[in-house]
Amino acid sequence: MVELDTILAGFADAFTLYNLSFVLFGVVLGQFVGAVPGIGPIMAMAIAIPFTFGLDTLPAIAFLVGVNKGGLVGGAVPAILMNTPGTPDAAATALDGYPLAKQGKPLKATKMALFSSITGDTVSDIVLITVSAPLAILALKMGPIEIVALMIFAFSVLAGLIGNSLIKGIIAAALGLLVACVGQDPEHFTPRLIFGHWDLFNGLPLPSVAIGMLAISEMLRRMSMAHGNKVSSAIINLDTGNPNDQRVTWSEYWSCRFTLIRGATIGTILGALPGIGSTAAAFMSYAMAKGTSKEPASFGKGNIQGIAASESANSAVVGANLIPLLTLGIPGSVGAALIISAFMIHGLQPGPLLFTNQGQLVYGLFGAMLMANFINLWVGQIGLRFWVKVVSAPESIIFSSAILLCIVGVSMATSGIFGVAIMLIFAAIGYVMSSFGYSLVIFIIAFFLGPRFEKSISQSLALTNGDLAQILKSPVAVALLILSVISFVWFMRKNNQVNKADA
Amino acid sequence: MAGIGDRISGTFFLVLGLTMYLFVNPNYIESVNGGNISPNTFPNILSIIIAVCGTMLLFKPTTQQAPDLRSVAITSMYVLLLVVGLYAMSKFGFEYVAPVLAFVIMIAIGERRLHWLLLGIVGMPVLIWLLVTIVLGRALP
Repeated sequence: MVELDTILAGFADAFTLYNLSFVLFGVVLGQFVGAVPGIGPIMAMAIAIPFTFGLDTLPAIAFLVGVNKGGLVGGAVPAILMNTPGTPDAAATALDGYPLAKQGKPLKATKMALFSSITGDTVSDIVLITVSAPLAILALKMGPIEIVALMIFAFSVLAGLIGNSLIKGIIAAALGLLVACVGQDPEHFTPRLIFGHWDLFNGLPLPSVAIGMLAISEMLRRMSMAHGNKVSSAIINLDTGNPNDQRVTWSEYWSCRFTLIRGATIGTILGALPGIGSTAAAFMSYAMAKGTSKEPASFGKGNIQGIAASESANSAVVGANLIPLLTLGIPGSVGAALIISAFMIHGLQPGPLLFTNQGQLVYGLFGAMLMANFINLWVGQIGLRFWVKVVSAPESIIFSSAILLCIVGVSMATSGIFGVAIMLIFAAIGYVMSSFGYSLVIFIIAFFLGPRFEKSISQSLALTNGDLAQILKSPVAVALLILSVISFVWFMRKNNQVNKADA
Repeated sequence: MAGIGDRISGTFFLVLGLTMYLFVNPNYIESVNGGNISPNTFPNILSIIIAVCGTMLLFKPTTQQAPDLRSVAITSMYVLLLVVGLYAMSKFGFEYVAPVLAFVIMIAIGERRLHWLLLGIVGMPVLIWLLVTIVLGRALP
């Protein structure tokens, strides 16, 4: 168990002015990019990772967490003002936010989104802080056999939940694992699939693959959509003359308390499971709020309960996403996968041992997350009027600048143009894969987990002397493998039903 | 035609899996005696999984459409532009190529407003130069 002095020292680290300034910078950047349709916090995190190399671990990761949290708040701005969600998570927010903005209450809508987001986020952070250390203790009892079984289970759930085809999910996972094989093999340390390029001896660089797949490929898609069209600016009238239209009163906030708690609970539970994500949480929370409302007909016409439901749920996912990451070392989303890559770049291996070896850092991160919520609230209150202007920035300047930042960032991270070339290759692969309906999320998570997965298989074989029947002696591994088979069969049947319905 | 996208990608992954298993893995992975798991075991298993799943997709596609050819052509043009830009950067340096690359991208997207063009061509490269070389003390590509 983590000692109390370690916990207090961690929180003390988070509350230093130096670390708080990076949280503040991350939140400001996150809200800014979240407000720009087409960028979003994931792309911003991918671009920002190389720029955190020179920082200590805590400010670097706290900065990235700030970007992620700020991005979810910023994502609601274009959803409400333009009916164009800055992030997919905010799509449910647009259902009631946009009608409310059209009624002349854009600031009331964006402020309700801000307060709901902070509420959901804070609840999930408290759950994360409370449950992660006990879960890590349980996870420490798991050996390589259980780790392999757990990863197989995670892949089966991810492949089934993300996208419309289990087969495509399996292909994306297998391809991610195959790409992770490039470099040294983890047991014999012989070169593998490097094709004479000794730059690849340590494997494909994480920043090149992550930024190419997540940032550049998405920019290529949006650039081809925007090609030849000058993006028109959105003109939004913020001042209607009625002060009540520009704020959320305490009674309005309090009337949403049950919706907020339910949204935060849904977001936390779904966020702790790999693959489901914040978009599903937001829509599920919205549907439940509408279903239990006395005035369901008012939903979709500017009901602040709808904004409260979706924003509290999608923001609660962020903190909960870190539960499997910190306790098991398994990222449940792309955001978590990017944070795991930041951990690895700084020489840390996320997982249960992190609490034992780097307890102070983990609790420093928790402290930074809590502070990020308060900073998010503060920056949001001040910045909302400014972010409203940001939504009108043209895509031409955003994409050209973001591409230059990606090139420079990857060049710094990989010490040269070779890494940038790999980034371009994976950008093209990412574009083609997503065009054909393959999940980049599964690919990236498999790529991150690949070396550990193979190493765990190797360790399992060493422990069992190659006798796979020994697995039966581990009830946890057997249970996880049975669950994997069940989820595989279930998702297969579900896909078949969906495909028959579509045909 | 519904499902054509999956038939195309299924064929590709079938060919990729078989190529990896039959040609690439045997030639580009060193064989080692002893140990618990040979260096080629994991890639071989994954190649087979990819080939099998590609075959399944070929014969049982979803309703996935093939991507729009116009979008693919435009994206290919942008990829080519980035490749040329990267090559030029390796020859002449970021400082000289970045403004030109930003200009071409902005013009291609359709931007014609002078203040935005100036911001993209001059403002952003200068800001990146300041951030990387002055603030972070690192070299530009």
